[in-house]
Amino acid sequence: MAYSELIKNFEKIRGYMREFYVYGFKSREEYDAKSARSYDNERRRMGSWLGDYMSFRQDQSGKNVFISVDNRNVPHNPLFSAYKAKSFTDNDIILHFYILDLLAGGNTLTVKQITDRIGSDYLSHFESSDVLDESTVRKKLKEYEQLGLLESDKIGRELAFRRTKDEVDLDSWRDAIDFFSETDPLGVVGSYLLDRFQDSSSHFSFKHHYLLFAMDSEVIYDLLTAIREHRSVELTSYVVRRGELRKNTVLPMKIYISTQSGRHYLLGYHYRLRRPMFFRMDNIRKVKPGTVEVRWEKYAGFFEKFRENLWGVSLGSDHSLDHIEITIHVSRNEGYILDRLEREKRCGRIEPAGDFNYRYIADVYDSSEMLPWIRTFIGRIVSLECSNEHTKKRFYEDLETMRAFYGGESNAVQ
Amino acid sequence: MLFSEIYGSYYTAVAQILSRAVEGSLTGKELTVIVQETAFGESLLTIPSALKEERWPFLDLNLNTPVQHEPAMPLSALQKQWMKALLQDPRIRLFSPSEEGLEDVEPLYDRDTFVFFDRYTDGDPFEDEEYISHFRTILQGMKEKRKIRVRFKGRHNERHSYICVPCRLEYSSKDDKFRLITSCKGNMLTVNLARLRSVQVLEPYVEDEFRPADYHTESLVMELFDERNGLERVMLHFSDMEKETERLDARHYRITLHYKRDDETEILIRILSFGPILKVLSPAYMVDQIRQRLDRQFLYRPKE
Repeated sequence: MAYSELIKNFEKIRGYMREFYVYGFKSREEYDAKSARSYDNERRRMGSWLGDYMSFRQDQSGKNVFISVDNRNVPHNPLFSAYKAKSFTDNDIILHFYILDLLAGGNTLTVKQITDRIGSDYLSHFESSDVLDESTVRKKLKEYEQLGLLESDKIGRELAFRRTKDEVDLDSWRDAIDFFSETDPLGVVGSYLLDRFQDSSSHFSFKHHYLLFAMDSEVIYDLLTAIREHRSVELTSYVVRRGELRKNTVLPMKIYISTQSGRHYLLGYHYRLRRPMFFRMDNIRKVKPGTVEVRWEKYAGFFEKFRENLWGVSLGSDHSLDHIEITIHVSRNEGYILDRLEREKRCGRIEPAGDFNYRYIADVYDSSEMLPWIRTFIGRIVSLECSNEHTKKRFYEDLETMRAFYGGESNAVQ
Repeated sequence: MLFSEIYGSYYTAVAQILSRAVEGSLTGKELTVIVQETAFGESLLTIPSALKEERWPFLDLNLNTPVQHEPAMPLSALQKQWMKALLQDPRIRLFSPSEEGLEDVEPLYDRDTFVFFDRYTDGDPFEDEEYISHFRTILQGMKEKRKIRVRFKGRHNERHSYICVPCRLEYSSKDDKFRLITSCKGNMLTVNLARLRSVQVLEPYVEDEFRPADYHTESLVMELFDERNGLERVMLHFSDMEKETERLDARHYRITLHYKRDDETEILIRILSFGPILKVLSPAYMVDQIRQRLDRQFLYRPKE
């Protein structure tokens, strides 16, 4: 099939975009799972969509491709472009503009009238154009009704269509759409709306801004639909450790988002394992809607309770709680450290612990998840006590390794 | 349906082309410019030829069209549902959009569906009337290209007053805060919005006075040891920043990170959070800072 910069299915490009964006060092030869031609086509497409955001670099391993962006200087997520590259047929675009034109100004027309007038009012101007049949037109009208662009009514025995009323003052939304298109988890919808405005300038910029979440928008949309309808889903997910796809039937409940890595997770109830589970959004390949869960309220209540002891997105191996106590030294005039503790803790409590010391106490499902945060206080951690010995051991062993890195006592690291 | 051609760049480009054709003023050059500005890098190879060859029969040889009205598409159900969902967000009060036309629309999601589990909890007071007023005044200043006078309290409660050119409002999802980035007598001045005591719109500024924020950028080189899935974690975590990555061998990588000098402490903390997965090689003063923190930490070493 001839190359096109448009795509029919989003899933394939999702993987490539992710690899190009997150890693910047893989060469063509390393994408051995896919054909070289496929790699070349996907790279060409991304180059076409992203333009200057694609950077190229040559090293010993050949030509590498990566998407290089300082997100703080990017007012609009360039990865949204991929969602604006859906392929279509000639009939699709012909019907789109002619149907909406015929129904402009409040016109209501039957399927037959629309079909006839597309022929007489538009296609008759062109020698080479074929006549469109009524069933093709009807199919498109039905599709647009589902999308919310059209409404229908019966006139006698015939179905008649008109454009849906637009009473939204979109201009009053301009700044809100601009802002939320970057900060909302389904910001791509905002990006679609922004395309309606002539002026593409923005007064906003974003720090700690993770653009990659955009690639999961379709999966998130399917999950939001299921959550709204209280519906179970069959997830097809890639299991990294096993290198294979797995299917799980899950009741989706919440979507967890890390503001510090951009990662998205689905929290759902796993029917077969009878317990809540997290699924990484970027590993979810397909969401198939299932049945409506009549006991939704019961599960929702259960999740609220469960959140009290959740640090991140890990439930540990057996859902038991680890008790952890960390004592932090806060010198005089270092109130900002105490402020940090207060704003960054996600559960638990803080209490004074003697002169210039404060103790953070928590019970969490998986204390090892806290280690990255605990390490940010290196230099002032008076003590770390944890019922999970592994967490404590790892913290102190890592410290020894780091000390060796930077010319410390043991100097043990190669 | 989220992934649909109705939202696509090709449809957007053709709509703009037809708008001009309906006015009767479309030229070939203009058609090219619209495609270049609205669609993708290689769209010039497809859109003009599809129109010219009448595969998309919208334009005759003289670039006239049988389309009668300027193309306009009603808002889709998806777009309305998304906007309705935004109305539940406290930050929407900063903008106060009209809710008309969305009364009977079901929101795409409930506000509590998303859990931002590691967001700091001392975010800005988005529903505070004074805060909202400051936000809107700044936005007005930016739109009207006017200088503003800002009065704010510093970190140690000292009072400041500056006349400056507002460049942009920067939001951090992690901090859940806005910062105002300004150009002030040739220097960049950054103020947390929550610290503002008053904002006043002044006279228009001349273009020369508008210098979009120019951060001093530094480079940091670090080595990554790919253990405990470190490669993926580090790459994702720092994917908000400009960086270059080079593979040294199967498990070792060298990363050059470009950061703003103002963010030095934050970067240091972010690197420390990865423990022995990352080792900073340069600049020397960053290495020294880590060493000092480790030295202090070892004063607390538990007794064996």
